[in-house]
Amino acid sequence: MAPILETRSLVKVYRADGVETPALRGVDLAVEAGEFVAIMGPSGCGKSTLLYLVGLLATPTEGTVRLDGRDAAALGDGERTRLRRRHIGYVFQRFNLLGTLSAEENVALPLRLRGERPGAAPHDMLRAVGLEEKRRRRPNQLSVGEQQRVAIARALVTRPTVLLADEPTGNLDSEASDRVMDLVGRLHRDTGQAIVLITHNRQVADRADRLIRMHDGRFVDA
Amino acid sequence: MLPLANILARPLRTTVSVLAVGVGVALFLVLVGLTSMLDEIARRTTQVEAHLMVWPASDQVVVSGGLPADKVERDLESIAGVEHAIPVLRWPFKMAGRVQNVYGIRPEDWRYFASADQIVDGRALAGGAEMVIDARLAAAGPYRVGQTVERWGHAFRIVGIAKEGVAGRVFMPIDTVGEALQQTDRRASFFYVRVTDPASVAAVREAIRERGLNVFTLEEFYDVLASSFVDMDLVIGSVVFVAGFVCFLVILLTVYTMVIERTREIGILKGIGASRAQVFGLVLAEAGLIAGAGIVAGFLLTWGGKALVLHLQPLWTVEIPPVRYLLAALLAAGGTLLGAAQPAARAARQDPVESLRYE
Repeated sequence: MAPILETRSLVKVYRADGVETPALRGVDLAVEAGEFVAIMGPSGCGKSTLLYLVGLLATPTEGTVRLDGRDAAALGDGERTRLRRRHIGYVFQRFNLLGTLSAEENVALPLRLRGERPGAAPHDMLRAVGLEEKRRRRPNQLSVGEQQRVAIARALVTRPTVLLADEPTGNLDSEASDRVMDLVGRLHRDTGQAIVLITHNRQVADRADRLIRMHDGRFVDA
Repeated sequence: MLPLANILARPLRTTVSVLAVGVGVALFLVLVGLTSMLDEIARRTTQVEAHLMVWPASDQVVVSGGLPADKVERDLESIAGVEHAIPVLRWPFKMAGRVQNVYGIRPEDWRYFASADQIVDGRALAGGAEMVIDARLAAAGPYRVGQTVERWGHAFRIVGIAKEGVAGRVFMPIDTVGEALQQTDRRASFFYVRVTDPASVAAVREAIRERGLNVFTLEEFYDVLASSFVDMDLVIGSVVFVAGFVCFLVILLTVYTMVIERTREIGILKGIGASRAQVFGLVLAEAGLIAGAGIVAGFLLTWGGKALVLHLQPLWTVEIPPVRYLLAALLAAGGTLLGAAQPAARAARQDPVESLRYE
């Protein structure tokens, strides 16, 4: 079966004021449907850049990204957006909830952006992450662990085939971190989407099916 | 949901933006409404059962002069097709804190200026030191029937109040005005002329012109009077333009600041699936909400501003037809959306990765 997410010879070079900074130097990655992949590496090794590229938020300098069998480079901006909406759920390191909206409204947002009526889905997702009682609270009325659980609910409310998580426990203490990862693990078992998770934390990475180490824009072992 | 939440998150800035739009709308409506005062004067002046107005040749239209009333009347009535010449002696007379143009007319000519049912209180002019005023002036004074007004060393008694819309706000017998002005013979500032057959207006007019007098149809006079205030229209138009431009700049700055401030949020939105069009629409929706609230605020300010103007100057006219409200709303909405378009386009173009990294 073809991988749900695949990159080939992925290169990303940032250019600013005539200075070129290579972030990825030829990355080949294949993630099967339902697979949980963790990527570890030092800061600045290109992990987040890789996530932006496979999440179709950025375009590679060279190489290809295929999502659900479709070459992202061959798509226009609108089609890429639609593909991202359909297949990708994103959990950012800094939670990145919208401060003007309640937890429930934050979770409903991806559905609204798809033009769908949220219905009971946001409520159900918040129940799944244990925040049903706090659904009307704004982000600043939630703890950091709770905010991250809301972010996970938001990422999963559209039932994406791939969940991309950029250091989802990076700002959490060990207790909150464990709780969030338990949740990710449970949701992964329940819903079966593929997960690509970036982390510095070995304990977090150990929960994955596969661990990839990155260094200086390359995979060093898998 | 999100546009409303966003604008409510910054209540002070939103209020200032809404007020900027509102003040622009109100300035437009009230100032343009004030130009109706000129139109109202022109309209009133021509609300007479006559066909032509005859002025001294050397006079400007709006300045009263002095024609020998009896001689000119006889001369005009000798023209074939002229039914009646109605002399009017106009002179300034201060009432209700403002200078009014008294219409000195012969009491028997009153019927050309108003029908019997247009007297809402008292009676029409009979003669002597008396006056009829219109309802607007009566309210502004306030004045009532039986009250005496002293001017020029004379005491004039108000004998009647006419409906608003008659040619003058104050009517007196022409001889009374002449005496008060110490004129030795009956003078007239101008004449209204009735013709026996409307089809003969052109011929009568030509005959009057041959006598060296200025002559206008009432329609022409309306146009002349209305256009004599063209400079004021220009001034008001300039003020309206500046007000509109300032509102546009306020909105541009507000929306631009909103976009810069929410750079990271725009990155998040794109990260969770927002398209360029949706980000563009979101910013425009916020501007639209500000415009909508600003238009409502503008209408309320207009209502208040109009009431204030009429309280301070009861004899002014501020007529704002519904189509002007519609025009003001369209201008405000258009200006707001125009001001928001560039920041919205900038937001839509923002690189999501750079936005997410934005601190």
